Amino acid sequence: MSALSVRGLHRSVGATQILRGIDLDVTAGEAIGIIGPSGSGKSSLLRCIAGLDPIAAGSVAVEGRATRPGDGAVGMVFQQFNLWPHLTARQNVALALRLVRKLPVREADARAEAALAQVGLAALAARKPAALSGGQQQRVAIARTLAMEPRVLLFDEPTAALDPELTTEVLDVIRALAAGGTTMLVVSHEMGFVAGLATRVVFLDHGQVVQSGPPAEIFSQRAEPRIQAFLQTYLSRVAWVQA
Amino acid sequence: MMQAFIDSLWATARGLPVTLAIWLAAVVAGMALGFLVGALRFFAPRLVSWPLAALVETVRGVPFLVQCFLLYFGGPFVGIDLSPVMAGFVALSVYGAAYFSEVFRAGFNAVPPGQLEAARLLGLSRPATVWRIMLPVMALGVLPALANLAVILIKETAVLSIITVPELTFRVQGVGTSTFAFAETTLVLALVYWGLVEATAMLARATERRIERALAA
Ligand SMILES: Nc1ncnc2c1ncn2[C@@H]1O[C@H](COP(=O)(O)OP(=O)(O)O)[C@@H](O)[C@H]1O
Ligand SMILES: [Mg+2]
Repeated sequence: MSALSVRGLHRSVGATQILRGIDLDVTAGEAIGIIGPSGSGKSSLLRCIAGLDPIAAGSVAVEGRATRPGDGAVGMVFQQFNLWPHLTARQNVALALRLVRKLPVREADARAEAALAQVGLAALAARKPAALSGGQQQRVAIARTLAMEPRVLLFDEPTAALDPELTTEVLDVIRALAAGGTTMLVVSHEMGFVAGLATRVVFLDHGQVVQSGPPAEIFSQRAEPRIQAFLQTYLSRVAWVQA
Repeated sequence: MMQAFIDSLWATARGLPVTLAIWLAAVVAGMALGFLVGALRFFAPRLVSWPLAALVETVRGVPFLVQCFLLYFGGPFVGIDLSPVMAGFVALSVYGAAYFSEVFRAGFNAVPPGQLEAARLLGLSRPATVWRIMLPVMALGVLPALANLAVILIKETAVLSIITVPELTFRVQGVGTSTFAFAETTLVLALVYWGLVEATAMLARATERRIERALAA
């Protein structure tokens, strides 16, 4: 049984079709990289899987069961972190443990601190988001999601809102999670990161999967012309100069 | 002339407590009522929120002076017979509530949807999300506007002199009418209000910082 199974997923807003029949099966422990042009439907796909956006047709199942937001099956990390500004890092992580898992305060705090330690932020547990860098905020957001132990973890451009020098610390955390066997879907424009991380890469365009396969296939001359054209725009930004 | 100044100061001493009491009571009542209306306009179905919107627009669209007249002189015709002080308090509260409600409504609107989606995905119930996330995040956002509005309302209390509320303006103007020293008394009045606004602005900022520290920082 697959960890995540997406079947014939359609999403439309009014007359606009945003997702047009997505099929995706993810085995436990896989890390799926999702790439594609802006507006191709990457965020929509993750949001439909999480249950945040309504779907017009098709189905989403985690470990064979239909999901709904808040049932703990799917966790999501957003581009904008979405930490709660009035709570400390520890409280951000512990809140759902207390209110949803009904853990006593002390145990919730202990678990929150463990999750923060996992993302390298044990020392900053008492800080509020405003006193953390963007990279640290995103790691708190990851810890907050991890603490609830979702079956599938979704990352929607987790480093897109960060200054370049702050992306590494976040990417390192995601890599470590993938290495530890966390099932995940990662939308990212960090192509090198995706190539190194993903067991499989899915290329979306206009709400459809153009091609999906191992990184060696997608990031190569064998990929669809559309993909090569898309990746070309990234190559043109690389500054290394061959002597 | 000196006498007019001295009389004005004496009148100030008598009027100031009334001004402050009405202001403070109206700020508290107006904020409470404004919160209720703002929350209803944000959370309640249109059947409730639209009439409230119309009501708020009406209160904001009619000059405060006219509202005071309506309540004080018109009220008795519909069985609302209030003393000047009570009429002043009610009028200022309602007037303030209309503006406070707009601040609260905008505050609820300004809570980043992503923060609520995060709560939803983590399994927080709707009431828990409202109580633990929406209210504190909203409060943080609206504090400066609330403080600002409270300070503006202190100037509006001067209008209550028209319905014979024995507050600052009423008292000091009384000195003017009996001594014909209008320039002197008005000067005293201007200075007192200016000091009052500065003082309440400082108080408001201090309160704002305190709440801010408690909520975030
Ligand atoms: N709520 C919505 N209403 C209307 N159009 C939407 C909505 N959400 C997304 N879209 C449109 O759907 C397309 C895909 O959006 P999105 O999933 O955000 O793409 P991506 O994340 O790949 O950039 C875009 O053209 C976007 O404008
Ligand atoms: Mg997107």
